Amino acid sequence: MSNLLTTQLYNFHVDQKSKLIEFAGWDMPFSYDGTLKEHNYVRNNCGFFDVSHMGRLVLDIDQIQNVSKLICSDILNLDNSKALYTIFTNENGKALDDVIFWKFEDKLILICNASNREKISKHLINNNIEFEDETFNTCLIAIQGPNTENLLKEYLDLPEHFSAVDNGEYICARTGYTGEDGFEIMFNNSKVDEILNYIVSNEIKPCGLGSRDTLRLEASLPLYGFELTEEISPVEANLKWVITNEDDYLGKDILDNELNSKNHKALKKFIINSKNIARTGTKVKNNNINGVVTSGNYSPILEKSIGFALFDSSPESDLLEFDIRGNFIEGNIINKRFLS
Amino acid sequence: MTEKKYLETHEWYSVNDNEITVGISDFAQSELGDIVFVTLPTVDESFSKGEGMVEIEATKTVAEVYAPMDITITEVNNKLDSEPELINGDPCGEGWIVKGSIKDIDDIGMSYQEYESFIS
Repeated sequence: MSNLLTTQLYNFHVDQKSKLIEFAGWDMPFSYDGTLKEHNYVRNNCGFFDVSHMGRLVLDIDQIQNVSKLICSDILNLDNSKALYTIFTNENGKALDDVIFWKFEDKLILICNASNREKISKHLINNNIEFEDETFNTCLIAIQGPNTENLLKEYLDLPEHFSAVDNGEYICARTGYTGEDGFEIMFNNSKVDEILNYIVSNEIKPCGLGSRDTLRLEASLPLYGFELTEEISPVEANLKWVITNEDDYLGKDILDNELNSKNHKALKKFIINSKNIARTGTKVKNNNINGVVTSGNYSPILEKSIGFALFDSSPESDLLEFDIRGNFIEGNIINKRFLS
Repeated sequence: MTEKKYLETHEWYSVNDNEITVGISDFAQSELGDIVFVTLPTVDESFSKGEGMVEIEATKTVAEVYAPMDITITEVNNKLDSEPELINGDPCGEGWIVKGSIKDIDDIGMSYQEYESFIS
């Protein structure tokens, strides 16, 4: 019927009557019980996401020196069994992708965005970095929420925060994209039924990409293609903390200059107190500084409209004016996280 | 009260003498996903046929509710201010959106059967 890719959990999604959407060439669940319910499963208890559409590239550890020339974070001094959030930058210091590395004694596992798997693969090849693409041989499931540790500790070897364990049968990392404690588990396709049975028999609720997006937004986390693109640098995306690489990596000079300058675009979080959602593409002004909303949606916890906007330069005050379908709507820049 | 009629823009309406009640269809609420904000008009506001009366913000997207015919608002469903999810739960009942007076009945909506084949 279509040329969309499907994950090993596709039949489960269909059986659960999830609403399926096309995402980065994959047929993926948008929601099962509704985005708000799924959002609250994760905030209050536990929920799981099929994120097998994301790229999984396995690199031998001897590739690490070359990898370090392409990312803005210090991976060389990262301890084994640790996770690293970082950004592949281009020669202009802009983002090619934001990714997670899991570092082990013998290998690096690179988790990249589904939309960027081919781009990052080519980028690695062009830089003489060898890797195995395990995306289609493995599954990746994110189990997230404050009750996750309780539900999984009998079953899996659970690592410490931002760490990973590889026991030969699966790799489990204490990472995620929701702002909650949780784990991301990568395993061979042959184990899918066993792991899915455990999840379902423990009444861990399936959650779709709809709640994944509201959760990450509420947790102030960027999404590639929106807050980060090949036109937006990590400095502009307010991700200065990610820039820790002292190696001579691609785009380093430009990023070093940006770090010491205010002459660049600036991503800000905002909140709107009226009943309007400023969605992607909405124009916004801060005095004379123009901006555009990169992501915007409803925060189920704050019960308010929130989002990110990218301004031409750093705003000088907190007051914003959005143009929402011709109506001028006030909002405010928020400098702290949306959720305390 | 007449049976509900449906528009291609996914509103339903029913007419009782000169009063019309308007909401959105079950199909529409399902396509929108979770409804989080409803911006209602004020009583006595008038709208021409086809004009946007109500804005519905959902987690997936935003939608307008258009006037099925020339209408002057007589009542709005104030419950939607605090419980917008009523539209998701019961779009054709408790999730009604506005009532209004109409001078001339312009009854061009589809029957449920016609609407069902329109959306399928």
